Amino acid sequence: MLPGRRAGRDEGLERSDCPTVVALFGEGNEPFADEREREAIRAELRALGAVLLALSPDVLWLFRPDDEQQSLEPAPRAPDGGPPALFQQLGVVPERGRPGLRGLFVVDGGGTLRFAHRLGHDERITLRAAVEAASRAMLLPAAVPAGSSRREFLLASLLTGFALAVADACAPVPPVRDAASLPQDQLDLTLQINGESHPLRLEPRVSLLDALRENLGLTGTKKGCDHGQCGACTVLIDGRRVLSCLTLAATAEGSKITTIEGLGSPEALHPMQAAFVAEDALQCGYCTPGQIMSAVGLVSEGHAKDDDDIRELMSGNLCRCGAYPNIVTAIRRAQKEMTGTAADGAKGPA
Amino acid sequence: MTAPFTYVRVTGDADAALDTATPGSQLLAGGTNLLDMMRLGVVSPTRLLDISRLASSGPWGRVEETDGGLSIGALVRNSDLAYHPLVRARFPVLSQALLSGASPQLRNMATTAGNVMQRTRCPYFRDIGVPACNKRNPGSGCAAWDGFARPHAILGGSRDCIAVHPSDMCVALVALDAIVHVRGHYGAGEGLTERQIAIADFHLVPGSTPSRETTIGPGELITRVVLPATPFAARSAYVKARDRASYAFALASAGVALHLEGGKIRDARVALGGVATKPWRSHEAERVLAGHEPTGALFERAADAALADAQPRPDNRFKVPLAKATIVRALTRAREAT
Amino acid sequence: MSRAYTSLGVDRIDARYKVTGKAVYAAEVAVANVAHAVIVGSTVARGRVKDIDVRAAQRAPGVLAVLTHQNAPRLPGGAERNKNDRVDRTLQVLQDDQVVYDDQPVALVVADTLDRARFAARLLDVRYERVETPTVTFDLRSPNYAPPRAVRDTTDSNHGDVARARGSAPVVVDATYTIPTENHNPMEMHGTIAVWHSSDAVTVYDSTQGIFGVRKKIAHVFGLNAKNVRVLSLYVGGGFGCKGTPWSHVVLSVMAARAVGRAVKLAVTRQQMFSLVGHRPHIIQRVQLAAGKDGKLASVEHDVVSQTSRFDEFVEPGAVTARHLYACDNIRTSHRLVRLDIPTPTYMRAPGESSGSFALESAMDELSYAVGLDPVALRLVNYAERDQHEGKPYSSKSLRACYEQGAAAFGWARRPLAVRAMKDGDGWIGWGMATATYPAGQSPASAWASLRADGTALVRSGSQDIGTGTYTIMTQIAADALGLPLASVRFELGDTSFPETPVSGGSRTAASVGSAVKQAGWQVRQALLALAIADPASPLHGLSADDVDVVDGMLLSKTQPSRRDSVVAVMARAQRPELVARADAKEAESRKPYSLHSFGAQFAEVRVDEALGSVRVRRLVGAFAAGTILNAKTARSQFMGGMVWGIGMALHEHTVRDLRSGRVVTRDLADYHVPVHADTPDIQVVMVPESDPHVNDVGAKGIGEIGITGMAAAIANAVYHATGKRVRDLPITPDKLLEVPV
Repeated sequence: MLPGRRAGRDEGLERSDCPTVVALFGEGNEPFADEREREAIRAELRALGAVLLALSPDVLWLFRPDDEQQSLEPAPRAPDGGPPALFQQLGVVPERGRPGLRGLFVVDGGGTLRFAHRLGHDERITLRAAVEAASRAMLLPAAVPAGSSRREFLLASLLTGFALAVADACAPVPPVRDAASLPQDQLDLTLQINGESHPLRLEPRVSLLDALRENLGLTGTKKGCDHGQCGACTVLIDGRRVLSCLTLAATAEGSKITTIEGLGSPEALHPMQAAFVAEDALQCGYCTPGQIMSAVGLVSEGHAKDDDDIRELMSGNLCRCGAYPNIVTAIRRAQKEMTGTAADGAKGPA
Repeated sequence: MTAPFTYVRVTGDADAALDTATPGSQLLAGGTNLLDMMRLGVVSPTRLLDISRLASSGPWGRVEETDGGLSIGALVRNSDLAYHPLVRARFPVLSQALLSGASPQLRNMATTAGNVMQRTRCPYFRDIGVPACNKRNPGSGCAAWDGFARPHAILGGSRDCIAVHPSDMCVALVALDAIVHVRGHYGAGEGLTERQIAIADFHLVPGSTPSRETTIGPGELITRVVLPATPFAARSAYVKARDRASYAFALASAGVALHLEGGKIRDARVALGGVATKPWRSHEAERVLAGHEPTGALFERAADAALADAQPRPDNRFKVPLAKATIVRALTRAREAT
Repeated sequence: MSRAYTSLGVDRIDARYKVTGKAVYAAEVAVANVAHAVIVGSTVARGRVKDIDVRAAQRAPGVLAVLTHQNAPRLPGGAERNKNDRVDRTLQVLQDDQVVYDDQPVALVVADTLDRARFAARLLDVRYERVETPTVTFDLRSPNYAPPRAVRDTTDSNHGDVARARGSAPVVVDATYTIPTENHNPMEMHGTIAVWHSSDAVTVYDSTQGIFGVRKKIAHVFGLNAKNVRVLSLYVGGGFGCKGTPWSHVVLSVMAARAVGRAVKLAVTRQQMFSLVGHRPHIIQRVQLAAGKDGKLASVEHDVVSQTSRFDEFVEPGAVTARHLYACDNIRTSHRLVRLDIPTPTYMRAPGESSGSFALESAMDELSYAVGLDPVALRLVNYAERDQHEGKPYSSKSLRACYEQGAAAFGWARRPLAVRAMKDGDGWIGWGMATATYPAGQSPASAWASLRADGTALVRSGSQDIGTGTYTIMTQIAADALGLPLASVRFELGDTSFPETPVSGGSRTAASVGSAVKQAGWQVRQALLALAIADPASPLHGLSADDVDVVDGMLLSKTQPSRRDSVVAVMARAQRPELVARADAKEAESRKPYSLHSFGAQFAEVRVDEALGSVRVRRLVGAFAAGTILNAKTARSQFMGGMVWGIGMALHEHTVRDLRSGRVVTRDLADYHVPVHADTPDIQVVMVPESDPHVNDVGAKGIGEIGITGMAAAIANAVYHATGKRVRDLPITPDKLLEVPV
């Protein structure tokens, strides 16, 4: 079997490469003041891609933002004696009867200490405020260290090691436990397609291709791979040929979108469409709208001087039926008609 | 399998994008790499900052002359760059590299900065059903090392990662000593300023931290890529060897430039693609070339030097002779260029 | 009967709809309130599902249901294949906890939008147990077994005394050839929309080559009356064999629709295409040719080993062609299978003929050098006038003309015999050829025709058009049979409420459905003639039926052409709103005494850049004789399409599985290469005229698959001619041409 841990489904939050926020509390069983604070911190951690380690002398919590908090009791194997020892090494004095945050540290995934704050004797800061300050500090690039010194380096190593040991001991959980806590935005968009306005309400992640096919009933544009590898989804955006599967509907707002339906109809074919029919430049027809839109783009780009150019510049459109030779003939024929120019460059009647 | 995210359209002011950028955010330009990765579930930003509209303002979308060199805006489309008359005339290796990559549609969408930042095509990396990928899942191992390693790197890799860098454009940029201009919060003050990073330092070999691929981090934004004036770069060429005639990544490629004077090579640039974990500059080959007549035998020796430290896996041993052949072919083309 | 429309190159009738985006494919049918289902595949190849934590997925926004083996309904017909049905398959439809191949369906998520369903699929936590290291590849040392049949023929054959002949022959070629696993990858992924109408009636829109097979499967699995299952497939974006039988996603979409009480659309992803819907099996072939110094074959041996799954059996019948293609008294062939932890393979364009011809035609090419004969001359020396394996004459065989005309079109006469003889700058040019052949099958099929009083006709047959041109040629056949103008005839297919037909596979639709359409049209014509002849008011009154022809809507006497009557007038006087006929065409009796095949000759020119290891095909010529060509335009496209597949087989296609996990590594169209525009040169197709009165009613032999047969060998042979390097292991990629010292 392959080495390594079982894959989590969501690898966007890479485990040991993510920053660790270590919060030290004087005492207490609960790192969060209330549910609102927990959710606010969850959002900050998500934005940081970080996990939170909260400890008091007796208790240890691990909090991954897309997860419930996990309490580990007694504290797991940790280097040199667990939380009390760590407090000492970090220079934080836990005092009984003084609950609340006493120190906050942030170590990034590369092992660099990025933020360190030990609260003064009378200082009171909520965990939330501290985490927000740490977030801002994370915007500083690691190349500019926040006061690096041997001590800081050792501290950072200590924290990273501790964090790893803790995380290793935690039961593996699905990284994204509660999808309901992820962004729920819907966007109100208007797309200009084939000269008509189409108002839509969509999640931001919807591709232009899916918006066309699933939301607008414009199924002429085809899905052949959904990853930009086949060209079947080619449309024109502001006259340029592009792939609609790798275009967000949201990005396409404000541009002129042309799909196969906008090029011509069975009763009134565009010259490229007519050429494809006449030359039998299709078989199953599934790649055909993408081939045609791409060919129209190719003609307007003006770089194809001969058949070899056409082949090279159409290579982003796969045809599994093998209609390629007829497609090239059709494009040459339509190119002549559309530009009044023969493929060898000689001008003909417009 | 795209995770939900908040969409923010950035117009007019790039600095606003940087102020709100946090490690959970990603910048969206052309989207040809990012949306692909998101749909695979490999990355899951919770916030997308769409900066594509900045192309119409300021230098973002422009190619400008700078004392014999070129300043290429971060959002210039790959196709526009490839066909730009100044690029074709002064830096043909860059135009040829761009036109050998991807497809016309992808080139119409992809941007300069996006191409520089693109991630590997390693099939194990791209498949979240595969646990062992140090790049995606640090500490989990490298499935390619003892697996299907045919597409992967023979230079700059290790047991931890042999993922090949897929960009053609970056090979040309490395050969041309490009400089990447980056904007971010530097220093203790509040303001946004710029710093410059040589392209050779921009990409990182995986080492023991394959998940770190570039020197920049969240809160930093490429603004432009500058090609210094290099008059002899007009004598340059890009040769790409691949499994089919078009629309395929390089098995091996070479981007070269030659400064010929008095029948000898005064200066040379040699960069390799398809064989290394980052766009690979070969000073070893350049040292062999400098000062000698540009013969076929010299080119072969330079190619040998470039690949001397290659460490292929059983699956990709063929890349050694193939890479050498692309170097020799590219040098020959550069020599023959008029 | 005149043949007016068939053989004309009329434009494809559905082309207008395809080029304007109006053709609607399965997953595009507008169904109200449709929900989206997504299959979750396993990440192990061999084991059991221990547990699936569905809670996060169930709670995700928009999710309607999450089905696993733990809560999926028990299917009355089960998942196991029907052992009485040779082409039926065992499916993985959540009926048990077994995992038998990587990316096998282990769960199904249904949500109100596609993005929500796909993302929720990521939230499932699937845990496995008893996971074992799978075995996903084989070689000639692997344990194998003999299957009961090699599709339509025996597993093994043995004529004459092969050992003695080989032992005494002066020249022997003994070589082993390999083709890796390949995937069909039609441009349209599989997709199904299921709509239940009541508790026991369902309509399914499916992308399939066999609507009746889908209906049968659904009825069996769900315990329904087939009459209450309707399957529609009006346009199919390619199939090539992987849509020939229903796969797990079809059953799962129907199951999901019942579970959520809503129409459900299930679109298979491109990644899933590599494991869910069949593949061409990895195949290792040993060919031994023994011959005299004159090239005359003394013995032919062809031994095939290929792979199948642990739970179903599929044979790629690679050695069947060798049994008849060349005249020889001593021929021995065999097929063996190795069971692996992989999904079951299936028919992929010319299964057996395309793979087998690579081995046989490469071996013949090796023999041509061994005896110093031109490759075409060697074929002619061993030309088979009759089918020695079946012991029958060929119904027609114009292979000599194919060799002649193909060679002439290619310029083959100028070919130097020696290798490495044609230099071209940094590259070498090479010319290679091979024989092509494919059986001309026919299956029972039915059609229905209705002539209307207004002179138009509607003809229906429940067939499929997967890009082959069925819509077009059936309209032509019907127009000719009925005697109507082409524009007056409408042909409909793709609906199980239409008469039953076979799967669109095996290059037999033209023969089978064509015969039924012709017979139905002909029956209507006869009824029309009878009306006219019996009608005293008709100018044709009293004539014999043999004397009356119908052309473009006009009945007229052949001997006295001035005596004529229009279809419309005849129907009006008879006060008949329509004339209807249904034909159930059987396999033509005339076929029985004969062996029926189409033949061809393939010629390829390649340019090899040795330093870069690249092979580029510069031109191709294919000369084919396949009986009556029903439509020159669409036929040329079919031949050409097959030839392009040959380029892919020779140079590009290779599905790689990780040997440790059993998971496909090349799981998208960037890593699995099919030919692109730039790989495909000008292709010349020569259609050698051939008339075969025995093969079936329409005289056609079927042309969908012959184009790929022999092509991979022609290209590999050309590579050898260019470089002197013989590659026996496809695809011919740069690594195979670059010598690498170990």
